Amino acid sequence: MIRVENLVYRYEAAGPECLRGVSVEFAEGEHTALIGPNGCGKTTLIKHLNALLFPASGTVCVDGMLTTDVASVREIRRRVGMVFQNPDSQIVGMTVEEDVAFGPGNLALPPAEIRSRVGACLEMVGMTGFEKRAPHTLSGGEKRLLSIAGVLAMNPRYIAFDEPTAYLDAVGRKRILAIIRSLNQGGMAIIHIAHDASDIAAADRVAVMDRGLLLRTGTPSEIFGDAELLTAIGLAGAREERGT
Amino acid sequence: MIRLGQYRPGDTLLHRLDPRVKIVAVVAFSFVIFGATPAEILLLSAFLAAVIAAARMTPEQVMEALRPVTFFLALIFLVHLLFTAGKPLLSLAPLPLRITREGLVRGLYVTWQFAGLVLAAAILTLTTFSYDLVGGIERLLRPLAGVGIPSQDLAVMIAMALRFMPMLLEEYERLRMAQMARGADFTTGGLVLRSRAVVALAVPLLLSAFRRADELALAMEARGYQRGCPRTTLCTFTFARRDLGAFAALAALVIASLGLRIAAS
Repeated sequence: MIRVENLVYRYEAAGPECLRGVSVEFAEGEHTALIGPNGCGKTTLIKHLNALLFPASGTVCVDGMLTTDVASVREIRRRVGMVFQNPDSQIVGMTVEEDVAFGPGNLALPPAEIRSRVGACLEMVGMTGFEKRAPHTLSGGEKRLLSIAGVLAMNPRYIAFDEPTAYLDAVGRKRILAIIRSLNQGGMAIIHIAHDASDIAAADRVAVMDRGLLLRTGTPSEIFGDAELLTAIGLAGAREERGT
Repeated sequence: MIRLGQYRPGDTLLHRLDPRVKIVAVVAFSFVIFGATPAEILLLSAFLAAVIAAARMTPEQVMEALRPVTFFLALIFLVHLLFTAGKPLLSLAPLPLRITREGLVRGLYVTWQFAGLVLAAAILTLTTFSYDLVGGIERLLRPLAGVGIPSQDLAVMIAMALRFMPMLLEEYERLRMAQMARGADFTTGGLVLRSRAVVALAVPLLLSAFRRADELALAMEARGYQRGCPRTTLCTFTFARRDLGAFAALAALVIASLGLRIAAS
């Protein structure tokens, strides 16, 4: 369980609060969609979940470990994977297999175990045969798949996806959503930032954010049935798109 | 698109050698090539030719490896040819320059040294996958951890630099296209106009490089990277019999080269 309590965050000490007392829980095996207008703090929130950012006040607790506890940071980052919006920002290897091996290498796993994870994760995202390819020769969709494989190789319990289908064509979107669904069905908790209503149809729960606050959580039907809420945060279009 | 990464897949003896042996060989070759006597020049040239043959490099590939430094090699040759004192061979009057016998010999010698170095490095990168190259450097530096040299962090830094280059080139292409789409012209106009266009490209490229570096650092942290913490890699090197043979050949070359040098002195 990831428990966020009264989380406040500012990018600059004297700057405005980007997160203003957010409290939310992400249970193991649950698929949670995070929605809200641009700049409302969704990405800032998920960066707290794997200890990339630390609260100005409040707490973030992953399976009983506080992200502010330096000794727990490595384990927290193993348990909570993070798939960034721009895959180019996430790929660190000179080849596909080396990139997938980066995370397990940081866990100091034996080379044989790393190789086995690399093979399994590339197969999971349908990229077997790409091992020796340089990342800059991949298409946008392939880079996205590679960034997911790189996170899966850490064997996490939770994965936070930051708009994983952005800039992808219909086939690419479908492929990524199928992978997310299959991971969730396998017991992985998913935290999924999305703008597109069709992307969050499979979510168990939707959390709505606006201007640094968590406004409401509910099932997709409850949230998309609340026309007033969606209009207030400028997502009325998402409701129409969903056909509610 | 600019082609990066010289590695050419293959199954030659050079490809199969342990990268550590190849790295040590390039370093050793770099040491013996400087100060080489005429007899050593013959020996080292023969060794280089044998290695080029073992790597199955075509004359075109040898020329391709030297192409990026052609201007530099020509400059070295000309500077020595024209500015070395000695017995005149040709006067370039009315210019206050003359070609001397010593200048010609010195120019050829220094140019050969640098060309040899470039070729040795090219053979290493042509026959060694970048990942193995970085892994090899890391393994060779590992014993220096005791004196505070963080070999693993250095290897990660080299790998990041290699990863960063194509990213920067992609960004450069994107920015160039975006500016050309809005009327920027990088090919015509005077020097001032072209310089302005280049500056207009350089500033956003630099800013983008800083932003990308920040993002990359964050992504590395997100995947558990912590500076100074022990880490492992996919690389597993085994020192085979062929590596031992290559190492013995290298040792013989160095000993023979030094022997010839002592004999000549």
